[in-house]
Amino acid sequence: MQTLWSVWMQYLPLLLKGTVMTVELTGAALVVGVVFGFLLALGRLSHIRVLDTVATGYVEVIRAIPVLIILFITYYAFAELGLVLSGVTAAVVSLGGFYATQYGEIFRGSILGIDRGQTEAAAALGLSHAQTLRRVVLPQAFFTILPPATNQLSNLIKDTSLVFTISVADLMYQANSALSVNFLPMDMLMEAGVIYFIFYLIIAKVLGRWELNVQRRRN
Amino acid sequence: MSNDVVIRTDRLTKRFGPLSVFEEVSLEVKKSEVMAIIGPSGAGKSTFIRCLNYLHPFNQGKLDILGHTILGGKHHLPREELRDIRTRVGMVFQTFNLFPHLNVLENITLAPVEVKRVARANANERAMELLEMVGLSAKAKMYPKRLSGGEQQRVAICRALAMEPEVMLFDEPTSMLDPELVGDVLAAIRRLASDGMTMILVTHEMQFAKDVADTVVIMADHGVVETGPAREVLESPRTERAQSFLHRVLHPEEANDLIDAKMAPIGGRQ
Ligand SMILES: Nc1ncnc2c1ncn2[C@@H]1O[C@H](COP(=O)(O)OP(=O)(O)O)[C@@H](O)[C@H]1O
Ligand SMILES: [Mg+2]
Repeated sequence: MQTLWSVWMQYLPLLLKGTVMTVELTGAALVVGVVFGFLLALGRLSHIRVLDTVATGYVEVIRAIPVLIILFITYYAFAELGLVLSGVTAAVVSLGGFYATQYGEIFRGSILGIDRGQTEAAAALGLSHAQTLRRVVLPQAFFTILPPATNQLSNLIKDTSLVFTISVADLMYQANSALSVNFLPMDMLMEAGVIYFIFYLIIAKVLGRWELNVQRRRN
Repeated sequence: MSNDVVIRTDRLTKRFGPLSVFEEVSLEVKKSEVMAIIGPSGAGKSTFIRCLNYLHPFNQGKLDILGHTILGGKHHLPREELRDIRTRVGMVFQTFNLFPHLNVLENITLAPVEVKRVARANANERAMELLEMVGLSAKAKMYPKRLSGGEQQRVAICRALAMEPEVMLFDEPTSMLDPELVGDVLAAIRRLASDGMTMILVTHEMQFAKDVADTVVIMADHGVVETGPAREVLESPRTERAQSFLHRVLHPEEANDLIDAKMAPIGGRQ
């Protein structure tokens, strides 16, 4: 027991260093995924044919490809074409680009789920499409967006671990490099797993509290 | 168009794909006139009043409203024109359609602040006056969920009035309400009428139509089957179609299959 504890403590600083990278990657990919996903949703909901077609094509193709392949394409294949990206940039672009399809579909579904009477009432009052979206549709879509969005965030956190394959020094990378020196794979992987779990737990708690607060305000 | 005509439709025709909702409806509403539209379910009453503020485009005919002239067959109006019409025409829906994420006051002030750029303080003040008028000033901070249907509909009326519209459109404003809640909503509408508001009201409340409306229009079978002064149309309708409809509404207990068959021409109702 004593030894396990001391081994975990010994490598904690290293793993926490990796955790910082994991958190930063998650944050950056989330921002890219949410912003780009929102644009994809607007594209698919647009009456402008080209926008709809392009957005739909992107979503259908990208979401069907494994994240690891997208990551390798962005890092290795793009470089072959002369577009050399750093590991971190490639990671953010590929994770963000992939999760944009997930977030886009969540946004689109929630927007479509808003009762037609709501948009009609807004239109009858003279609100523009943009005003209706901003003031009437999105605030109501929030509740149906948050649960599946939190769910996808847990997938995103886990998928950031793929970046160790392109040598980005995230949590998984540090655990892997530690175990290749100390030959304690069980300890290192368990410790990393626990940190991933705690990270997700904190985020789920925060988002859950946020949802609850907004819900309470509306009653 | 003479100056006091606010809305005029000239052979307005509306189809949803192959389904003809109404054909060649020509009506005229003058300033401060109250027009009631009655008729069987599926006759196209809702669709007709939604064409007036262009929630639905129409296929043929011409609509003159508040100085704008719109010809059928157009899918989109210029944004400015649409906005002008909609800010000057208020609408109240059968299902209230209050915004559930906003409280009563915010529901009422949203459009004045967003669309008309009224200062928040002025919008709030006006909203409170309107709530006072319908007896709901104590509920300003409540969310729609907490209100009865009748209260929600009165808030919806305030929400429309907050834009200071020149015309109000009501689509069966009381048909979703429990009977004991109808009176308060009708009282609010009656008050508007006596204040001189120009209104078009789709309703099943015959007595109310008789009391408040100047003209009554009966829609059925893809069009207007009778129109005229309220009392005349409701008490001594000329056409057979109007007579059978009114008979059925006023004597629901006599409804039988024969009349039902007559009231439901194939394809004419849901
Ligand atoms: N958005 C729509 N798309 C297709 N058909 C519709 C739509 N809205 C109404 N209809 C049809 O148009 C007809 C008239 O409907 P409506 O105007 O609601 O009648 P009313 O208000 O008199 O009951 C019905 O047959 C209805 O099914
Ligand atoms: Mg209707």
